[in-house]
Formats: sequence, structure tokens, C-alpha cells
Amino acid sequence: MTSIQSACVRKVKQKKVAIDTQVPEFKTDEMIINLGPQHPSTHGVLRLILTLDGEVVKHTECVIGHLHRAQEWQGQNRTWFQYQALIDRVDYLSGMFTSWALCAAAEKIDGAVVPERAEYLRVLVAELNRISSHLLWLGTYLIDLGALYGFPFYPFIEREKILTFFEEVAGQRMMYNYIRIGGVQRDPKASWFKKVEEFTKQFAQRIDEYEAIVTENPIFLKRTKDVGILNKEVAMAYGVTGPTLRASGVAYDLRRFKPYSVYPKLEFTVPVYNKHGDTWDRYMARVQEMRESNEIIKQVLDMLPEGEIMTKKQNAGLRVKAGEGFAAVESPRGVLGCYIISNGSDKAYRFKWRNPSFSNLSVLPPLLENRPLSDIMAIFGSLDIIIPDVDR
Amino acid sequence: MIPNAAEIRKLSVLSFSWLTVIFVAVWGVCWLVGILIPALLANSSFDFARAVSEICEAITPLLAVMVFIPINAMFMVLMERRVLALFTRRNGPNRVGPDGALQTAADAIKLLLKEDITPTGADAAMFTLAPIIFFAPSIFGAIPLLAAVTNNNKLFQIADLPTGIFFVLAASSIPVVGIVMGGWASNNKYSLMGGLRSAAQAISYEIPLVLSIITICLLAGTLDVVSIAKQQSGGILNWNILGGGALTGLNKAIAAFISSAGPPIAEVIKTYYPYGWLSLIGVIVLCLCTIILFGIYLIGACAEINRIPFDLPEAESELVSGYNTEYSGIKFAIFFLAEFTNLFIVSTIAVVMFLGGGDCPLPTWLNPLSYPAVYIPLTNILSPILSLLIDKIHLINPDTFWAALWVILKTYSLVFFAILVRGTLPRFRIDQLMDFGWKRLVPITLVIFVLVAFARGVINFHV
Repeated sequence: MTSIQSACVRKVKQKKVAIDTQVPEFKTDEMIINLGPQHPSTHGVLRLILTLDGEVVKHTECVIGHLHRAQEWQGQNRTWFQYQALIDRVDYLSGMFTSWALCAAAEKIDGAVVPERAEYLRVLVAELNRISSHLLWLGTYLIDLGALYGFPFYPFIEREKILTFFEEVAGQRMMYNYIRIGGVQRDPKASWFKKVEEFTKQFAQRIDEYEAIVTENPIFLKRTKDVGILNKEVAMAYGVTGPTLRASGVAYDLRRFKPYSVYPKLEFTVPVYNKHGDTWDRYMARVQEMRESNEIIKQVLDMLPEGEIMTKKQNAGLRVKAGEGFAAVESPRGVLGCYIISNGSDKAYRFKWRNPSFSNLSVLPPLLENRPLSDIMAIFGSLDIIIPDVDR
Repeated sequence: MIPNAAEIRKLSVLSFSWLTVIFVAVWGVCWLVGILIPALLANSSFDFARAVSEICEAITPLLAVMVFIPINAMFMVLMERRVLALFTRRNGPNRVGPDGALQTAADAIKLLLKEDITPTGADAAMFTLAPIIFFAPSIFGAIPLLAAVTNNNKLFQIADLPTGIFFVLAASSIPVVGIVMGGWASNNKYSLMGGLRSAAQAISYEIPLVLSIITICLLAGTLDVVSIAKQQSGGILNWNILGGGALTGLNKAIAAFISSAGPPIAEVIKTYYPYGWLSLIGVIVLCLCTIILFGIYLIGACAEINRIPFDLPEAESELVSGYNTEYSGIKFAIFFLAEFTNLFIVSTIAVVMFLGGGDCPLPTWLNPLSYPAVYIPLTNILSPILSLLIDKIHLINPDTFWAALWVILKTYSLVFFAILVRGTLPRFRIDQLMDFGWKRLVPITLVIFVLVAFARGVINFHV
């Protein structure tokens, strides 16, 4: 590639020299710049090796692995009981989903039926978690765009409320360990449901407020419209999932496409933006998803049945039958899959995770080509990537 | 009910006490050096003592600026942090001193004591010179403004510049050299990009900025900041933001209507607006034009001093910290100081050029202090104290005091506005920034310039 480029450059140079020998040549060089791993807006420790022509990105190379923690290997050396507490750390903004994928796969191997109340509770906390994850994304994305001090802080007001709910029901604000193999950990009090109901009532109005500041802001539109256009074909070729894919016009949502848990009983729409697939569409897809999640939570609160919440005894002797199983859930970032081989002992034989951030990140270099430096943050932020989720 | 009323109250108390400290410190130094020492030494029989008194008088304006800038910048940083905290539902710095009042003083001491690092491969001389070149213009750029904002107190007239405003503008365009130097000398690619961005940005946004000022000068008929400020005295209707003096006739007519002692209203209107409905159109056009010009000036000034939404040279999420990435310790402190001083100076220029300088916003006919029934009893009560302070030891100069007070209030309103903008808007991209400057602002200012040149022909100004 570089040889072809340099050949072209040489040809152009020769042509120029032939036309006008009097004008001295203005020599420009490409500049290689390291963005990260220590950079304010790489959301962790991603390293991008950029080849810049002035301010225009010519080539991008993502260097990942700075946060590699061998999560799959750790799973093979820890008991089931230990590992289901550890796995929340993979995607620290949506721990409920990683737990859920693990538990769903283990339950498939077990052939166990999870109590219906537990399934509803899982949907409830997962959708709350989806909202909190998207809210954090909204705040950090606006920081990436340079709105340093203003509205990034407002989404955190609502996120704080959700974290308080989790604290009450799971004991922790980020690493919940709430969804367990065989059910959920704890049945919340009646007052908790009342608080969640109040939250859902006012949340739609809060989203309207965020949208009032952000969506039609002329500078925001300028920075995001027609920036980082991701075609349907490219997105599917790279295995992009989640809101990022849906913003490109593909209505692929596991909750609808391969329904799991009690999602078939719930009514919701999958927001698809079949306009451009630019960063603004990705923003809108996430905002719409928060509204949909809010509706789902309202339905779950109405439909929640009484009954048991746990079928397995939660202690150090927790075991899963021998066998293989795969389960995937729709996390805020896309399809999160977990493949397990169990040999019936207290430890799993093999784990394999399919993480959405990894596939979503792989589409970054083609998106950044020939874009100015400032667009890196607009595009990269809109993909909503969690670095521990990439590196595992 | 305001949710954070307590925080707002704390902030007001903090601002009031800080402004008092600034006022007392600056005026105290000026009085000591400019009035007390010369008064004591002037009649001395020694030649040396008389020379000292003359030198003291001469350096007073410089001393005022030198004392004012660091203290003021300290307060501005604190205010910015506290006000931003209010916007974003935080508390802001509130640990050092009462309610965090001494936070920036502590920060300044910390920065002074930090190690001064010059990165490997950096051009040491240029690296050191850059913050100085960035900071120095804000000192000598402020001096011509000093006479304008103190109601032409003779203590602060260091040089009578007939081209005052151009000198200020020229001085305020030098700092970009410092930024480019700092960016280039740092031997850091992020710094280099910040410096180059800054150069491109400053060149493109200086044009609308200067054009908007030139249009005001065209209306005022002078380049001298002192006389521009003086022309606007007499309330908000005389200010340049409302037609650049086009409403003076209206102001006079209302005053005539109220007092019924002066000339009849019809005569006043005839003097100022000789062409009837044509003059009316002129007044409307001028008012609209000057309001737009004020907006353009604010945008250009924001870009000139690298504030959000135009803070591309130091875009934190892109260039880490832009041109000052490699700076630490005292050099960084100087960059920081100069940035806030520049913010204050462009706000002061806006106040002098558009918002009437040290003029009370209330028109004379609305101001209670201008009626004899109010001010005669007041002076009777206060005269024993005031005569001592004003006439005997010259500790208070009422003209200067009121002018400085209003200027400070107006300037800090603009600073508050800049902080508000910072708390709300995302950042532009560099090509969008250029488009906005060259394709929007420059044509608009040129059109307004032509409109104003025609419209001012149908009205009599400042008679």
C-alpha cells in the first residue's frame, strides 16, 4: 500500500516539476502521533497510532491489550461461585448483562428452569442498567465533543438514582453480582418497586430535557451530522452490533430476533435509524433506547408475578452439570455472548466470551480514514466502547 | 424555589468580599504612591525627594495594573470554578479558607513552588520566552483603558494616545505569537498542533473583531477610548450598544418632557432627527446593527482568547492540553494568568466600546440621585465625613469610584456570560470554525459597516 502511495506521490511530483520548474516545492510530511494509552478521551487505555497529514487522519492502528486481565483463563481457575462475582468487572458499566450471559449459558447446560419472578426481575434490573449505561455514555460523549462542564453532569443525576436502586437491591453500585445461576440474589422490598415506579414516571420528561439541550444544538449538529458514516454493509461485515448497528439501519436486536427470558411477553419497538448511520443517528438510537427501556420497566412492574426467585443453593459448592452451552444477551453495547464447556466439577473447563466492544472497535479505522483529528473523538465516542470489554 | 440558593448566597458573599479586597488593594496602592508620597515630598527642599515624587506619580498607572492583574485573575479563576460548579450541580472548591476563598491563592503558591521542567529536545530559550510574550501585551494593552474606566482621572493618564483603541487591539493580537512559539518550542506534536490552530484561528477572528470595533469608531467619530467612553455618559440610551448615540435625541426629549424647564420637545427632536421618517428608519437600522455588532464582538473575542466554543488550541479531549501541554510550574501559571487577564481585558473593551464605560445604566431623568430633593439632604448628612476624605486627604474620588464600580460590575457580567457559554456549548471543529469566521462573520460585519455609514447621515450625533 505504502509503495503504491509513494509511487503516486512521485508521479505527481514529477508532473509538477515538469509544468513549472520555477516554483520551489512545498514539502509536506506525514506525521505519526500516538493517541493514548494515556489520553483524556480514549475512555481507558486504548492506544491509537495515527498517521496524520496536517490534521487529516490517513491511517489508524488500534493497539489493544493494555487492560488484558485474562478473564476467560481466570474463569477456568475459579469456582462457579467465585467467577460469577468476578465477571461483573468485564463491562463495568453494565455488569448485569455479563452476569446474565454467564448465568443463562450455565442454566442451559443445567437444563434448569428459572422461576418466572426471577426472570422478570432480571429484565427489570437489566433495563435499568441499560439506562444507566447509556446515561453515562451521553455524559462522556458530550465531554468528548468539548462541552466540558455543562450538561455532562445532568445525566449523572438520573444515573445516581439508578445506582441507588442497585445499591439497595444488590448491595453494590457497580459490581452487582445480582443475577446468579438459577435465579436472582435477593427479592427487593415493596418500597423499592414504588421508588422505581416513581423514577420511570419522571424519566421520560428528563430525557426530553436532555434532548432540549443537546439534540438540536447547532454546534452539536455540526459536529455529529454526516460524521463517521457507517454503512449497513460495512457494519455487518465487521460484526458490529447493538445501537451502533441499529443506527445504520439494521433492525437486529436479540431481544426481538432471538427472544430470551420474558421479552416475548413485553411490548417494545427496536429503534432503527435508516438515514445515514452517522454519529447523530447513533446518539438518537441510544436516546430512543432509553425511552424504550423505560417503557419495558413500566410493563415489568405491572406484570411482575409472585413466587420464588432462586432454584439453586448459592454457596461454594455451586456446580453446573457437564456439557456445553452458549447464551447471548443484548447488552447496551451489542450482542454479548458466553460459551461454556463444563465438566461437572466446581470449575468450568473452558470459557469463551463474545464481547460487543471488540467488534465495534474494529470498525474504527475505516471510519476515521480521511477525517480531521477532531472527528476522532466524535466517532470513537459514538461507538460506545468499554476498554475492559475489548481486552477482557 | 431555587434548589441551591445556599450556594448562590455563598458565591455572592465570596464575590463581594473578593471585589472589595481588589478595590481596596488597588486604590490603596495608587493613593499611597500617587497621592500621599508626592504630597509629602513635593514641597521638600531636596531635589532628590522631588524627583522621587515625580517618579511615583509617573509609575502609578503601571503599579495599578501590576497590582490589579494577579489579584483579579485569582478571583476570576475562583469565580469561574464556583459558577461552573453551580451550573453543573456541584459545590466547587470550598475547603481552603472561608468557603474556598483562598483556593486560588493556594494554587498560585503551589505552582510557584513546583519544579520548572523543560522537556528534552525543547528549544529552551523560546520555551521560556513564550509565556512572557503571551503575558506582557495584556499589561501594556490595559494601560490606555485605565484612563477610560476611571473617568479620566489624571492620576491614570500615562500616555494620551489619540489612536487608543487601535493600540489596545494591536496589543491584544500579540499573544498569539507566544502561543505559536510555545507550541513550536515544546517539541511535542500536540503542542505544535495547538499552536498552529491558534495562529489560524486568531488571524481569521481578528478581522470581524476589528471590523466591529471600527464601525463603533465610525459612529463615535474618534479612536480615543477616553472620549468614546465619555460620549456615552447619561444612561443606557446613550450607550453604543443601542445605536451608538442614535437614541441620544430620544433621551434628551424624554428629559425635556419630564423637567419641562429646558427646550421644548419638538425642538429637541428637530435638532437630533432632522429628516423625519428617514431619521426614524436610520435609528432603527443603527440600533439593530449595533446590537448585532456587539454579538459579533463577543464571538470574535471568545475566539481571540481561546474560550469554549472556540478553545481549539487547547482542546482538552483532542490535544490533551494543546500549546501548554508541556508547561509546568511558574510558566504554566503565567499562561493561566494571561488567559484570564485577556478575558478580563476583552470584556473591558466591550464595556468601554459598547456598554458606556463607567456610566450608570439609569438615564439621568430616572436616576434618583440626580434630583436636588434627594442629593441635597444626602450631601448635608455626609459632607463632614466626605469633605475630609475627598478634599483633605483625597482618599476618595467620587467620579473615579463610581466609574470603576460600574466598569467592574459590567465587566464581571460579561465574564459571567462567558462562563455561562462555557458551561453550555460543545466545541467547534477547526474547519467549521474557519467557515463560520470567513463565510459568516466577515461578510456580516462588512454589510453592517456600509449600512452604518449610510444610516449615520440622517441623524445628528453627540451635539
